[in-house]
Amino acid sequence: MRHTKQKDSPPKWVVRFFRWYCNDHLSEAVLGDMIEFYKRRKQKLGNRKADLLFLWNVLCFLQPFAIKRKSSPQNHFAMFENYLKIAWRSMSRQKMYTAIKVGGFAIGLATCILIFLFIRNEISYDKQYASQSIYRLYNDWRGPDGGQWTSFPANIHTILKNDYAEVEKAGRLIPYKWFNAGSNLIRRDDRADNTYEEGFAYADNELLEILNIPMAYGSQSNALAKPSSIVLSKKMADKYFPNEDPVGKIIILNEEKTKPFVVGGVMNDFPTNSHIHYEFLITLTNVEFWPGEQTSWCCWNYNAYIKLRPDTNIPSFEKKLTSMRETYLVSHLEKMGDQSVADVKKYHFFGVQPVEDIYLKSGKMGDEQQHGDMRYIWLFGGIAVFILLLACINFINLSTAKSANRAKEVGLRKVVGSARSFLVRQFLTESLVYSFVSFALALVLVILVMPFFNSLSGKQLSVPWTTWWLLPLLGAGAIMAGVIAGIYPAFYLSAFKPVDVLKGSVSRGSKSSTMRSAMVIFQFTTSIILIIGTFIIYEQMNFILHSKLGFSKEQVIMIQGASTLERQHDAFKNELKQLAEVENATSNNYLPVYGTNRDQNGFWKEGKQKIDKPVYGQFWYVDEDYIPTLRMKLVEGRNFNEKLKSDSAAIIINQALARAMGYKKSVGERMGNGRTYNVIGVVEDFHFDTMKGEIRPLCMVMGKGGDIVSVKVKSKNVASVLSSINKVWDKFMPHQPFRYTFLDESYARMYDDVDRTGRLFASFAGLAIIVACLGLFALSAFMVEQRSKEISIRLVMGASVRNIFRLLTQNFVKLVLVSFVIAAPISWIMMNKWLEDYKYKITITLDVFIAAGVTAVFIALLTISYQSISAALANPANRLRSE
Amino acid sequence: MKGTYLGEFEELVLLTVGILFDDAYGLAIVDELEKQTERNVMISSVHKALVRLEEKGYLKSHLGGATETRGGRDKRLYTLTQAGIKVLNQSKELRNAMYKQVPKMVWEESKI
Repeated sequence: MRHTKQKDSPPKWVVRFFRWYCNDHLSEAVLGDMIEFYKRRKQKLGNRKADLLFLWNVLCFLQPFAIKRKSSPQNHFAMFENYLKIAWRSMSRQKMYTAIKVGGFAIGLATCILIFLFIRNEISYDKQYASQSIYRLYNDWRGPDGGQWTSFPANIHTILKNDYAEVEKAGRLIPYKWFNAGSNLIRRDDRADNTYEEGFAYADNELLEILNIPMAYGSQSNALAKPSSIVLSKKMADKYFPNEDPVGKIIILNEEKTKPFVVGGVMNDFPTNSHIHYEFLITLTNVEFWPGEQTSWCCWNYNAYIKLRPDTNIPSFEKKLTSMRETYLVSHLEKMGDQSVADVKKYHFFGVQPVEDIYLKSGKMGDEQQHGDMRYIWLFGGIAVFILLLACINFINLSTAKSANRAKEVGLRKVVGSARSFLVRQFLTESLVYSFVSFALALVLVILVMPFFNSLSGKQLSVPWTTWWLLPLLGAGAIMAGVIAGIYPAFYLSAFKPVDVLKGSVSRGSKSSTMRSAMVIFQFTTSIILIIGTFIIYEQMNFILHSKLGFSKEQVIMIQGASTLERQHDAFKNELKQLAEVENATSNNYLPVYGTNRDQNGFWKEGKQKIDKPVYGQFWYVDEDYIPTLRMKLVEGRNFNEKLKSDSAAIIINQALARAMGYKKSVGERMGNGRTYNVIGVVEDFHFDTMKGEIRPLCMVMGKGGDIVSVKVKSKNVASVLSSINKVWDKFMPHQPFRYTFLDESYARMYDDVDRTGRLFASFAGLAIIVACLGLFALSAFMVEQRSKEISIRLVMGASVRNIFRLLTQNFVKLVLVSFVIAAPISWIMMNKWLEDYKYKITITLDVFIAAGVTAVFIALLTISYQSISAALANPANRLRSE
Repeated sequence: MKGTYLGEFEELVLLTVGILFDDAYGLAIVDELEKQTERNVMISSVHKALVRLEEKGYLKSHLGGATETRGGRDKRLYTLTQAGIKVLNQSKELRNAMYKQVPKMVWEESKI
């Protein structure tokens, strides 16, 4: 009866579809109704229409009341209860495995969360300026030795505003140490004692408006408008003017009582994720550092920020800026008879960079500001993913390895009637339980580790508890991690055939041993890459700190803020030299570490100014004690002598400059930068910049004064030397705090970023190894358990402890060696890439790889040996007796 | 009360089941409803109402009465339960009671 003629019945697939979704209660009767209806329609309307209407009817039934329920909800709940109970039982039955599973996972997660917070902070810089048409101007040299830098001549802001209609506002900033920018001694005019403060910069009032710096007192529109006004940060205002409105108060810098500054306003502290952080902004209104400075295109010291009209087309604006080159730069150079005009015409271009890109996307932009590095963001993100993968792999490995213990359970469940999908669900539930526990633990770890991580990364991160997305994100993360880590074991475990399992013929967990080996190899490959990376970064750091620099940085004390000594400079220096512990002392502004003055000058051979292109180099003012104090080596000629009158026109150059000028024998040559000097000596090249770049040309002439008195100390007892220097200082400058730094520390600070990268790498390598070793430990324990009978029999038959040890460890060691073979070339390529940043660098040698390989094998062996040795030492009788 | 509330359409279905007495199944109910109310009735909405009424306890059902035209499939035949009869009565009484409370004026006005 059921199968009537094909013609009479509605399309089969529609019927099948209906039967698929409709529940049993309705399916039969409704289908009957619909077929009856269909036949009635067919006679009236014909085949096609009836078919369509039938389909329409079927679709109409796609409603909750008709759709199949998988099983009744109560039963569902009960099963989940059972799953949770079983999960809890198997967790508590095998405490060690559980601890390793959860612990390893939590460590991996904690790392991920930290790195996530780190990356989030890095990419959050200056985001409030996004798409507000606020830009920073830069120079783009598109010739050989191309580069980008951000300094411009003093009148750049007026030029921009007058010549370009697109520019709404333009403001200048002097961000580097220059005149009062950088650091100063500061006091209120009604106090006597000075304090040393950092974070000074020169700025136009318009900059406040362009960057929309929020003000606590005063207003953006005029806080820096008046000459010699200054804006304080909230922090500094609270320090110097607690509980009062500082606007209109007077501040004295560096005891220059003739040039007092008036507080024009107080700005809120810059957020930590801003590319600039200043405590004091000094106005540029009516400032002229030397006569003619404000109008000349000779000297480029200003950064320019601009606000453009919103509809500006950036590429065409940048093209338009080129006219600035023709009108101002080229005409200036031609007037000076500069020979570089041709190159400038060819290569010098201008560009604008969105402010929100400054921190992360400045690349090789020369702006002497702190930058993040997009590459590190990718690198750390990658590491986070890898460590999480390692942790997931542990999880998978352990679950499948312990599968034998669950096989019987699976078999029994299947016999009793469990479908595979239920078992998958059970194991996924279990892995979710692990995942959630691990997430909770990871959060605790993050909170505990946060202070260390902050000091490591130089950030102030915290867990953003208050944001709405944190908990949902973590929850989603936990579910995802749980599913990813659990899906393989779930399908693997649920695939056991009940007959095999109950007969006992499932080989205990050995089936997936290739898979497990692959995972161990993956883990150790990652670890070894990180180990090698760490070694190489540390070697480079070591190289930087201990290579021959061309000067001696040990035991040199730099007394800061000495410019206020004014005429007493020499007296102070001479008194210091009298001290028994002091070997020598020199006074100037120029030292081969960061935070001291730098300047760039063009040099020509005598008389060739209008013929040759200039050679650019540093132009340092030093005294006759400079070279001996820093123990620089003269390779030619002699040092300055203050007693010789003629030495006021003497110059000492470094080898790089001698080369650049093309001197074979430098002494006796005459050269200059406008004024002509006699070359009296050549100093051996010494590093005054980071080792990323080549040593550049440099020369020194005699000068007086200076802000830093550097003292070379004989004795090792620094404390006593410091106290005697302090006494001398107090005699000269009773109102100014004695402030000093050590040259070697300042030098090391130049490489803070390398050091930081090294330490971060080391921590990640450590973490990766811990996670990998946890996995290996558990795997070896499992292996020992598997082969316990075999081991016992071998022992009975007379195997030595050593034999057993070798038997159990050789497989794992093999895996580690394979990982090493994979890791070595990868890390070699990666680290060569990293070293490309440095002009002066180590060559990667074999011993690094050997050391890393040996470390990995050693750690792996150490991890396995505990289990192996205890297995080998156990009494075989105990184990065999149970049979 | 959410569980026992009787909607207008549900009430009509319930009444139809009563009318059809021993042959109240899906399609027959659709036909009868269309005949009585002269409106277009969806087969799925009738079944939906039937399922809900059965859940509420106003109807009970059994399978039976397969015919050739149905491709040999059983019908699900519905009959009223005591509760169903009671709820129909209640609903009728409620209407009557409320009907009586409407002032006569209203009826007269409508005649004009």
